[in-house]
Amino acid sequence: MRKQTRFVAYLSILAMLVGSLQSTQAQAVTYRVDPVHSFIIFRVKHLNTGFAYGRFNTFSGTIVVDEKNPANSSIELEIDANSVDTGNSQRDDHLRNPDFFNTRQFPKITFKSTRVRKLNDTTVEVQGNLTMRGVTRPITARVTFTGKGRNQRGQEIIGFETTFTIRRSQFNINYGLNGGLADEVRVTFAVEGIR
Amino acid sequence: MSVILESALTAGLAALAAGVFWLLGWRLRRAYALLSALGVSVGFAVLYWRVQGRPDFPPIDATQWVFWHALLALPLGWLAGIVPAYRWVWVWGALLGVLWLFVPPFRPLMESGFWSLTAGVAYIVGFALATWLLMTLTAPLGEERGLATPFLIALLGGVSAGVLFYGAKSASLAQLSGTLGAVVGVGVLLAFLRSFTIGRGAVALAMLLFMSLWTTALGFAQLTPGQLVVLYLLALTPALRLLPAMQRLSPAVRFALPLAIVLVVGGAAVGMTYSAYMAQSGDTYSY
Repeated sequence: MRKQTRFVAYLSILAMLVGSLQSTQAQAVTYRVDPVHSFIIFRVKHLNTGFAYGRFNTFSGTIVVDEKNPANSSIELEIDANSVDTGNSQRDDHLRNPDFFNTRQFPKITFKSTRVRKLNDTTVEVQGNLTMRGVTRPITARVTFTGKGRNQRGQEIIGFETTFTIRRSQFNINYGLNGGLADEVRVTFAVEGIR
Repeated sequence: MSVILESALTAGLAALAAGVFWLLGWRLRRAYALLSALGVSVGFAVLYWRVQGRPDFPPIDATQWVFWHALLALPLGWLAGIVPAYRWVWVWGALLGVLWLFVPPFRPLMESGFWSLTAGVAYIVGFALATWLLMTLTAPLGEERGLATPFLIALLGGVSAGVLFYGAKSASLAQLSGTLGAVVGVGVLLAFLRSFTIGRGAVALAMLLFMSLWTTALGFAQLTPGQLVVLYLLALTPALRLLPAMQRLSPAVRFALPLAIVLVVGGAAVGMTYSAYMAQSGDTYSY
């Protein structure tokens, strides 16, 4: 009789645990990155004079948003390095070459978050790993929530933006470091997720 | 420091490193075969380090194998220097050695799916056979006195730099190739020393490194197979001097004929790649 009571108690605790886990999962919403309304742009200083801008046209990814518990949120992005576009086909060819991205060996650039921490109602700090040219480096970025709504099809959409700076030499991209092109590259992700 | 001054300093340091080993080889005849190859090996390593920075080992980025080829192929350069005594070792040892050198740089292209397995194996075997043949046919040029051999190889480096710059659209591979020519070109200055030769090892290793740069440009940059074939044939051109029919001609003609071929064909190759490059876009991109 006592054994039966203990079994029922265990079962109740397990049910409560599963229940709470389900409620946590229910609050995490997964969005797919909308490539049409998202932008990945970068800028780098040329000959210590002006800034050159470029973008990647092809990428995909997912954003998991948990408003109640931001630590459960995450982001994953996969960028087609061959889609680099600076508005000049010769420069784009050069960027695909071993001097820069070496896209034949490393066709993808990826970012995978490892930790998300809430800073205030509209800002989170995202830590993650950026992999480019076969080298993975941890980066930290402040990500700002830019809005939420519905698109013309009635689908739920959400927007985020972040800007951070990387040193390209840390990813073995060393061409032109002697004054030709700066080491620091400012990267902006302006992402719209769609559900 | 300006880019031009930086490039000149890099070329000067690399050439100095090579020159020191060749001068040592000129004085220490017993170590001549090794020091001849060591000049190119160390000269290229210095050059690479200054242009591209410190490479990893094993390289994550396959294009860094060019640097390691300069060091790992040193025994092949040395073997090329002593080959008259050990011909069968050269035939099998060097062929297998070159094949072994060409596998790691190109395996990632099969892994990334850029080349199929069949195409990758065909490329690697083809590169290895062509490189071994080039080294075999040109190495004896290193025993020739005078400035013809280092001058023609230096000129080849210049042509190669132009084709890689405009054809492969890789500034760093072009700089490595052009400066490799400058490294061997130090032999032009040393040729005025009595009975100086740069040695079979130096020529063989320089040719292997040119092939390493060109095949890297084909695999990872945008060098076309046609451009690679032209560069390969130009690299073979100095060996025309060794043909029996050429041996009967005066030294001036033996020098002038391959020089004319390299200038005309090489000049045309650079001109054509430049024209194609300029035609690609109305806006000029000057790197």
